[in-house]
Parts: sequence; structure tokens; C-alpha cells
Amino acid sequence: MKTEKLILSFIATLFGLLVAGIAFYAFQSTKTVAPSSTKTISIVSPSPTPNPTIFLTVDRPKDEEVVNNKILVISGKTSSNAVVIVIADSFEDVITPALNGDFATTVNIDDGQNALEIISIAPNGESIRIKKTVTYSQEEF
Amino acid sequence: MKKHILVLFLIFHLSFFISPAHAATPTPQDKTQELRDQLITNIASRVAQLKLVEKRGIIGIVTDVTNTQITLDSQNNTRFVDVDELTKFSSPNSKGTYGISDIEKNTTVGILGLYNKESRRILARFVSVMTTLLIIHGGVAAIDSENFSINITTEEGKQMTVDIENLTRTYSYTQKAGYLRSGFSKIKENYNIIVTGVLDTKDDQRMIATRVIFFPEIPASPKVNSMLENVGKSSK
Repeated sequence: MKTEKLILSFIATLFGLLVAGIAFYAFQSTKTVAPSSTKTISIVSPSPTPNPTIFLTVDRPKDEEVVNNKILVISGKTSSNAVVIVIADSFEDVITPALNGDFATTVNIDDGQNALEIISIAPNGESIRIKKTVTYSQEEF
Repeated sequence: MKKHILVLFLIFHLSFFISPAHAATPTPQDKTQELRDQLITNIASRVAQLKLVEKRGIIGIVTDVTNTQITLDSQNNTRFVDVDELTKFSSPNSKGTYGISDIEKNTTVGILGLYNKESRRILARFVSVMTTLLIIHGGVAAIDSENFSINITTEEGKQMTVDIENLTRTYSYTQKAGYLRSGFSKIKENYNIIVTGVLDTKDDQRMIATRVIFFPEIPASPKVNSMLENVGKSSK
């Protein structure tokens, strides 16, 4: 008796689900959406950032370096057609890099902290700046 | 049997008193070994300390100051500087003694000290108040020949009016002629330009130039040009 009841309730559940499914399908297929209530989403592909035509790396000196020689070598690499400007409080130098882009110069730094700025400017005006702090000190601590 | 057990018991107990008596009096060899171990330990710790710590010098603007610490903004990075009784302070404007209590917020200071790579802090040995020159790079937007001033637009979109004084040294750079002494009258609009100087205390968009380097062959950067076009359109 119990098993019969169980089987019947199971069949009834299945039948109910089937009817509900058919009703939902019928409703979805006959439904009409007003054009005003629809939204069109267009995915805009991001515009690629223009590749910079210039690069700059400074090998020497290291940032925050402490040196005990007032003559400082500044060297690095940039685009071969660029102009490199090394500028600080007490000096400036304009360098034309070699054909492979290497550049180097020597400058006389002041006592204490020297804020250096190395700027590379491409012929089209694009530029890159690197800031370095170099300290001249002979103090032992 | 009992006698044997008693003897063994006594020997066992006495051995406890005998052995420490031998260890308590170290031989010269033991002393040398101990000294050697101590020396090795000291050298090892000193080497580790030397590798961990290095001399460094930084420049920054004071954002906070306490009795034992200075917080700086150095190239948009927050740096913590520890101060102790060995730290020496100096200021070019100070005639008497100068200490940590005299350092105020927004002061530009140079720090020389020991940088700890692990804690990323600097133990300051020398703290000096300093003034650094402002360096701006951009394109010439306008020239005011009457007032000997030029307007410069930087790549960051900043507008700066630069006053050219008698003391201002002006240079030009071309591929052919190289780096030459020049003058205000040679500066034209849209030239690529670098200016060093000091900011006007009353107007943060005005500066007095100490040096001007301009490049007649190099135009202002495309970024600056687009900004100048936008400024022109909005003014119309």
C-alpha cells in the first residue's frame, strides 16, 4: 500500500514538472518584447595605446647612491636619434648618443645630496625623464 | 654480595662528583677553542649586518615628524627615517643649534644614513635642510616679449609662466651647432624647452628661471601639442 502511494506521488510530481515546463516554454515563445524596452550593448574594443618611440635606461649612477668622488660618471642607453640632457642644480650637459644608443658623460657633483634628472627627447618631441639622487660624502659611519 | 653492591653504589655516586671537577678547570686548548668560536660568531654577525645595511642618501619633503622618526615623501614614495642621538642636523638658515624639533612639515631635507634592506628604513646620520631647483620640461605655449616671460605647457598638462631675468642663462641645442649660449629673443612658440628655477612664493604657477635650454629643431611633444590645441579650442 505504502509503495503504491510512493509511486503515485512520484508520478504526480513528474507530471506536474512536465506541465509546468510546457507552460513556461509556451509563454516564452509567444512573448513579444517592445523595441523601446530593449537595450543594445555594443562592446567597444579599447584603442591601443600608441607605442612610445623612445626609451631610456640609466645604468650609472644607482639611485640613492653615496659616492666619495666628486667626478661622477652618468651612463645609459636610449634611442640613437634622441638627445639626452643631464641636469642638476649646479650643472647641465647635452649629449648625443652613439649609433647603438649608448651615452656617457662625466659631471662634477656638489657636496651632499645632488638631485639629477636625465631627460631623453626624441626628434618628434616625445620624452622620458629619470630622476636620481646621488650623495657625495666622505663621512665614515 | 651486599658488600659488592655497596662498593658499586659508592663508585657510581662518587663519579658524579669527580667528573664536574675535571670539567670546571678548562685547559688552555679549550680556552682557545672558545675564543675562536666567539670570534667566528662575531665576524659572521658583522658580515650579515654589513650585507643588510648600506649607506644611502635621499631627498624628500617632510610629511610628518616625531622625536624619533621623520616621514618623507620622496618621488611619490613614503620613506621612514629613524633618528637617534648620533644624528646630526643642519640648516643653511640656522645660526645656532638645529635639531629635530626645528624641522617642520613641507620642508625639503636631504638624508644621509644607513639603509636597512630588511626593514626598508633609514637610520639617519646627517639630516640637512635644503632647497632644490624646480626642473620643468615642455613646449613653449606663448611668449610675452614685453614682460620677458614665457608660458610653458608640460606633458603632465601643467601650465607654468616662466620669468626670464638678467641672471637667467639661456642656451640652445641644434644637431649642427651643438650646445650654444643663446637669448630670450631666439625662443619661439612650440619649441621643446627645459627650464630650471625657483617657484614664485606667491604664485605656484609662476617661476623665476635660472637656466633655459631650448631645442629649435625639436617640436613640443605630441601630448603637449594636443593640450595646446584643446586650450586654443576652449578659449575660442
